[in-house]
Amino acid sequence: MWVLSITAALVAVAVTGEAYGQSATPGGMPPPTGMSLAESTAMRFPQPVRVGQLLHRDVLQPVESQNVLGTVREVVQDKSGTIEVVINFGGFLGFGTRPIAVPVDAMVLLGRDMEIVAYTPQQLQKFPTFMPSGSSRLPDDTIIKVGLAKPSH
Amino acid sequence: MKSRFRPNRLPDPAVLDDYLPLIKSLERRGLIRGGISLGALAMLTGCDVERPASVEAALLAISRFNDKVQALLFNPNKLAPTYPASMILKPPKFNAYYDVMDVKPVDGAKWRLELSGLIADKRPWTIRDLQALPQRTIVIKHICVEGWSYIGGWSGVPFRTFLEYVGADLRAKYVAFKTADNYPSSIDMASALHPQTLLATEYAGETLADPFGYPMRLRTAVKLGYKNPKWVTAIEVTNKYPGGYWESRGFPWFAGL
Repeated sequence: MWVLSITAALVAVAVTGEAYGQSATPGGMPPPTGMSLAESTAMRFPQPVRVGQLLHRDVLQPVESQNVLGTVREVVQDKSGTIEVVINFGGFLGFGTRPIAVPVDAMVLLGRDMEIVAYTPQQLQKFPTFMPSGSSRLPDDTIIKVGLAKPSH
Repeated sequence: MKSRFRPNRLPDPAVLDDYLPLIKSLERRGLIRGGISLGALAMLTGCDVERPASVEAALLAISRFNDKVQALLFNPNKLAPTYPASMILKPPKFNAYYDVMDVKPVDGAKWRLELSGLIADKRPWTIRDLQALPQRTIVIKHICVEGWSYIGGWSGVPFRTFLEYVGADLRAKYVAFKTADNYPSSIDMASALHPQTLLATEYAGETLADPFGYPMRLRTAVKLGYKNPKWVTAIEVTNKYPGGYWESRGFPWFAGL
């Protein structure tokens, strides 16, 4: 009997705790349907950042638990001029990752990390493995502009 | 093992059938009672916003007591750790009670810092006026109540210098801030006078960018992040407790580091 009451109380805490912890205006929302990635970046007060500063940063999922999806390997520019961030994606504790290229306009800067706002982890799983031919690596001193977001927790 | 209190002659077990419903109802009452008391305990963890008024008052009293203890512990002569400029995070981390798309940039040319309260010279200030005062740069850790931090560099007039210049009453208790994004805030006078408290207009040697509080924000090394309002538009020196945005939502007021 007392087990039931304890469980009920814990469930009550879990439900109310989660509702309170999640912000009323969560950070890192995906761009609204129909908006291009470039437009959504433009709404996020993009800031200049040195490419060298982005290397090895954690790439987070914009949810309260801020799961680490991977780390930044390099920043490249493809033939059409699109800047992409190559991420060592997935795996476990850094093992078994594969590189994928995510457009920088699908991402935001979040303090000392980055975050992917335009794609869910499920969508990212379907990204093709990055092939270096066809893109050129941007030197560390290059300044690029990346949008911002509020933390998700 | 037989209980010492067991009667030599046991009652008829059929008696239990008559009283079984009563026994079951007693157990149910215990469950409800137990559930309520544990539920009340759960509510005191602070996650549930709807608390009985008496609990709310008690928690607030304890919070105010904590503030007094922190104020006693505060040493106005102790400096927060500083760091080399090479460790400054560029750009800094954005945070607000809304996401970055809702930042409303301030027109720097039209911006005036309004003054009120226990201040002798209440004339409004422009950005250029503020920049004409002596400037100080601090490279310190911004520490958020949420548990993250980063090292940043801010420059601006030391708040003490500014308050002396406008003839503020330095014995007053509070300094209150109004901002362009409806984020009222206030700090104690002792922290306002601390040497590592600035009215910052620059970050990492460049003008504060729009998402980070342009044209001016409070920057102190001795308080948690949420006590450093951005896009400041007005300052008041007062002896009446001004409160703040997060304080109204249950967060501590002193929030010292």
